[in-house]
Amino acid sequence: MGRFRFVLKRLALTVPLLLGVVLLVFLILEITPGDPARQIVGLRASEEKLQEVRDSLGLSDPVLTQYVRYVGNVARGDLGYSYKSGRSVASLIAERLPVTIWLLGFGLVFALSISVPLGILSALRHDRAADHVVRAFGLIGLTMPSFWVGIILILLVALPTGLFPVGGFGETVPEHIRSIILPALTLAIAIVPIQIRSLRASTIAVLGSDYITTARSMGIPPSRLMRRFVLRNAAPPTIAIVALDVGFLLFGAVVIETTFALPGIGQGLVLAARGRDIPAIQGYTLLFAVMVVAVYLLADILTAIADPRVEIES
Amino acid sequence: MSLADDLTREYAPSEPQHQLMVERRRLPRRVWVGAAIVFVYILVAVFAPLLAPYDPLALDPLHALEDPSWAHPIGTDELGRDVLSRLIFAARVDLLVGFLGALLPAIVGTALGAIGAYRGGWRDALTMRTADVVQAFPTYILIIALVFALGQGLTSILVAFTIIAWVAYARLIRSEILRLRGLDYVEAARAAGLPTRRILWLHVFPNAVGQTLVYLPSDIVIATLGLAALSFLGLGVRPPTPEWGAMIAAGQPFIRDQWWLSTVPGVVVVGFGLGLSLIGEGIEEWTRR
Repeated sequence: MGRFRFVLKRLALTVPLLLGVVLLVFLILEITPGDPARQIVGLRASEEKLQEVRDSLGLSDPVLTQYVRYVGNVARGDLGYSYKSGRSVASLIAERLPVTIWLLGFGLVFALSISVPLGILSALRHDRAADHVVRAFGLIGLTMPSFWVGIILILLVALPTGLFPVGGFGETVPEHIRSIILPALTLAIAIVPIQIRSLRASTIAVLGSDYITTARSMGIPPSRLMRRFVLRNAAPPTIAIVALDVGFLLFGAVVIETTFALPGIGQGLVLAARGRDIPAIQGYTLLFAVMVVAVYLLADILTAIADPRVEIES
Repeated sequence: MSLADDLTREYAPSEPQHQLMVERRRLPRRVWVGAAIVFVYILVAVFAPLLAPYDPLALDPLHALEDPSWAHPIGTDELGRDVLSRLIFAARVDLLVGFLGALLPAIVGTALGAIGAYRGGWRDALTMRTADVVQAFPTYILIIALVFALGQGLTSILVAFTIIAWVAYARLIRSEILRLRGLDYVEAARAAGLPTRRILWLHVFPNAVGQTLVYLPSDIVIATLGLAALSFLGLGVRPPTPEWGAMIAAGQPFIRDQWWLSTVPGVVVVGFGLGLSLIGEGIEEWTRR
C-alpha cells in the first residue's frame, strides 16, 4: 500500500474515533446529577426563569438532538460557556493552553536529555553495575507521586536558593522561564523511568540484531557503529515511545500545574471539577482527548514516513 | 494509553505460558523482599486501630502544627490531629482502593475480552471499539471527569477505575486467547473431540490468565498512585478521611516550617509502591526466563 493511501486511511479512521470521544464527553453531562439550569439561575429563581434558561440551553430537547447539536457546536469550535465566569470555554482554553505547552515542551526536552543517554548506557552495560543502578532508580522513580516530587523540589531547591518561585507563571518571558524550570523537571522525573525502560529494550533489540553483528565483523569502529547503525535504528521506536506516553504526560501536567499553581489547562480542569463547572470540564476533557488522538495520528504518520514497511492493521 | 498498557506491550513474553508452568524454578529473592514490605503495610492497615496512638480524626486546635516529639512522633497537622495515627489509618483507604482498583478492572476486562474472543462477531467488535474510544483519553483525565459525574467518593472512584482500566486487560486476554487457540495442544484437544466450550474454559483460559496475574502488582501501584493524585487534587477521598495524597496536599502550605507534613506521607507511598514493584519485576523476570 502506498504511503499516501496509508495516511488517508489513518485519517479516515480518526473520524469515528473522534465522534466516540465527543459522545463520551457528552455523556458525562448526561449522567451528572443535578440541573445545570438551576446551577446557573441559583436556588431562589422563579420556575419561569428556570424553564427559560433550560430552553435557551436546549436542555428540554431529546438527548439525541442534544448530542447532534453538541457535535455540531464542537466541530465549529463552540464549546459552550463556563457556568462560573460566563466566558466562552474556547477563550479560557486559548488563555491557558500556552502555559501547558511551555510545561510540556520544557518537560520533554529535560526528560529526553536524561533518558536517552541513560537508556543507551543501560543497554550497552546490559546486566552490569551501571545497568542495575539505572534500573533501580527507574523502579523508585515509577512509584514516586509527581506532586510529591514537586514539593520536594520546592523544599530542596526553590526555598534554599530563592532562584525559582514556588508557584505561579509570572508576567514576562524571563519570569516564565524561571517559573517553568522546576515544574518541567518534575514532569521529566515522572516520565524518565518509563522512557528509559522502553529505550533500553529497543536498543538491546537493535544491538542483538544480525546486521549489527555483520557490521561488527566487518570491522566498523564502535563509535561509528553506534552512530550510523544502532542509534539510527533505535530512533524510530523512540518517536513511538514518546507518543504513546502522551496520556501519562498530560495527566502529569494536570497534577504538576496544580502543585506549582501554574495557570494551564490542567489546573483549569481541576478548578472546573472543584467548582462543578460542567461546560468547562467537558471542554478541557475533550481538548485532552483530541491532543492524544492527534499525537497518535502524527506518530503513526511519522513512523510510516520513516519506515516504508509499516502497514495499517485491518 | 495507560501505563499498564505500555508495560503490557513491553513485557509480553513470546514463549507459551504452559511450558513455563511445567518446570518449577525458585522465585527471585526480590519477590520475597517485596512481599515482606507489602505484608507489613497490610498488617498496619488491618490492625490500624490497635497500632495508632490517637484517634486519626480527633481535633486539638491548641496543639496544631507541633514539631515531632515523643507524644507525636511525626508532629500534629494544622488541626492538631496526630500525623502518625492519620498515616496508619490512611493505609486502610489507600490499600483498599489500590487492591480493588486493580482487581475489579482485571475481572471485568478479562471477562469482556474473553467473551469477545470466544464469541467473536458484534460482541468482539463492540468491546474493541469501546476500548479504542476509552483509550483515546488520558486515563486519569477521564477518571477525573467520571468521578465528577458520579459524585465524589470511594465507590465512584472504583467504578471510574473499572470503566477505564478494563481495556488493557480485555486486550491482553483477547490476544492471549487468540494466540493459544492456534497452538498444537488445543488442536489436539479439538481432534480428541472435546467440545469448544470445554476446550476454551479448561485448556485455553487458565493458560491465558497467567499473563494477567503478572501485571496485577504494577497495576495496584498505579491505582494507589491514582487515588493519591485524585485526593491531592481535591477530587478523591473527602476530608477528614485520612489518605496519603490528601495529607501531602494538606501539608504543602506548611512546607517551609513543617516540612515533614508533606514529605513523610510521600515516603510511605513510595515504600508501598516499591514493595509491589519488586514483586512485579521479580515475577515478570521469573516467567520470562
